[in-house]
Amino acid sequence: MQSKASKTVVIIVAILIGLIFIVPIIWMLATSFKTDQEAFTAGLKWLPEVFTLENYQYALGGNADTPVLQWMGNSLFVGIVGTLIVLVVDTLAAYGLARLDVPFKKFFIAMFIGSLTIPWVITFLPLYMEFNTFGLLDTYAVLILPYSANAFGVFLLYQYFRGFPKELEEAAFLDGANKWQVFTKVVLPSARPVIWTLAIFTFMGIYNDFLWPLVTTNSPGMRTITTGIAVMQQGSFVSSPAKLMALTSIATIPAVLLFVIGQRSFIKGVTQSGIK
Amino acid sequence: MNTTWKSKLTSSLFVLPYLILFTVFLLIPIVYGAWMSLHNWDLLNPVHEFVGLKNYAKIFDPKSYVHNLFFEGLKNTLKFVVFSVPLLVVVGLGLALLINSLPGRLKGLFRTVYFIPYSVSVSVVAIIWLWLLDTNSGLINNYLTGLNLPAIPWLTDMPWAWVSIVIATLWWTIGFNMVIFINALNDVSEELYEAGSLDGANRWQRLIYITLPSIKPTMLFVLITSTIASFNIYGQPYLMTRGGPGTETKVLLMNIVDEAFKQRQLGNAAAMSLLMALLMIIISVAQLRISNRKE
Repeated sequence: MQSKASKTVVIIVAILIGLIFIVPIIWMLATSFKTDQEAFTAGLKWLPEVFTLENYQYALGGNADTPVLQWMGNSLFVGIVGTLIVLVVDTLAAYGLARLDVPFKKFFIAMFIGSLTIPWVITFLPLYMEFNTFGLLDTYAVLILPYSANAFGVFLLYQYFRGFPKELEEAAFLDGANKWQVFTKVVLPSARPVIWTLAIFTFMGIYNDFLWPLVTTNSPGMRTITTGIAVMQQGSFVSSPAKLMALTSIATIPAVLLFVIGQRSFIKGVTQSGIK
Repeated sequence: MNTTWKSKLTSSLFVLPYLILFTVFLLIPIVYGAWMSLHNWDLLNPVHEFVGLKNYAKIFDPKSYVHNLFFEGLKNTLKFVVFSVPLLVVVGLGLALLINSLPGRLKGLFRTVYFIPYSVSVSVVAIIWLWLLDTNSGLINNYLTGLNLPAIPWLTDMPWAWVSIVIATLWWTIGFNMVIFINALNDVSEELYEAGSLDGANRWQRLIYITLPSIKPTMLFVLITSTIASFNIYGQPYLMTRGGPGTETKVLLMNIVDEAFKQRQLGNAAAMSLLMALLMIIISVAQLRISNRKE
């Protein structure tokens, strides 16, 4: 239907817009190989005049104030553990509510789904005080547990389990399986795509969160990569653009690679989550 | 009888773990936050004096500094919402339409490229754009001066500070809205387009009369989620402009955090949080209502 000329125009426009998304990342990488001095100098040199790995050596050098690898490790750890907790409790609760004879079922469903409309800011300060009271600020607990209360996953899986054909479960019950066996052997394996979707959403949410880890941690060793970089940007790296860019490059490359590899499932997930 | 009792018990065990987490990290904080907002609550003082609705009265008393903190912050947050949300919806849809009109093999490639910035965190976004937009050594001003155009004080002057924050936000998050729109566009029935073509509708008419009405629920979803996300803005101004110039980009959440942790007045801050949440709920409901009335 489209003429060849208009097709070419569309492709050119798409490429130009694509540059907007890619150029900033390339500029970051280019700057990270310059000296701080050169990064400050006006000019449009894409390639560094003096190619240096000093910034990376400095960032990865294990300085007490920039334990970058520890930050990445923290982010991965809280992201993975937080996601696992969400997956376990959400699948259990969603299956119970969708299929089993849970007392006050309707009340729980209404309460959980209703909680999705409550803005996050409402629990921000009281949660902080809760963790403060129990002396759990600046620990992994404060970086992991609050995310487990989100009802999004329960809602998502509840929808899925309700649409799951009952016959399979009934056949298993007739064979003498109990609820737990039906859940782990019949229901869970079928839900793998939805669970994967929830895992990706949850992990990215925890991994990229900013304000909560910023206010609840303060020792350099407890920072996540996101907050660690922010603290450096406001602090000792405030006038070291090249060092800062090395730091952000180190943080970005694995995230982008993981994302490009996993994006198909992520996009499939957006479709499956019923966000239409 | 005994068996149903037993069965109900084992079924409850499925819901119990989540219920405990939900109670401890959501229900209790909601009640606790409301309770805090009724007290003179200093972070370092163990004694919290009950003051009733006084913290809320202060927010609405023009002579109180809390009044300025809340309403100045709210004004700035609302500015960001008004600047960013229409772009987040329209540009998201525009990119989705662009991707969909590409030949098949290129679709996936460009979708990935436009989506890449979504994978980085806000501090990386802020730092990248901080140095692209730097007045003296930033890439963008270097190109402008190269073209004999005046350098723009992107981060230190108005309205440029907002322009910068909105650009960085779009660059970062637009891919997500785009993917949601692409999914919606793929669900529009081919038959509708065929019928439209038979009636002699051109591309523009097909967009207005077929595509847009078909994806209306998605538009509403993107509108509401983008509004909520923009209301929660914190990282971009905190890292890019530090609320400046002056306090022009100091958003409500920044003022709440300052009041809670710099002034240590958690009672005031909790009252501000509650009002902010209330406002967000009202706006979401209004968006739903207005768009349903049009039907």
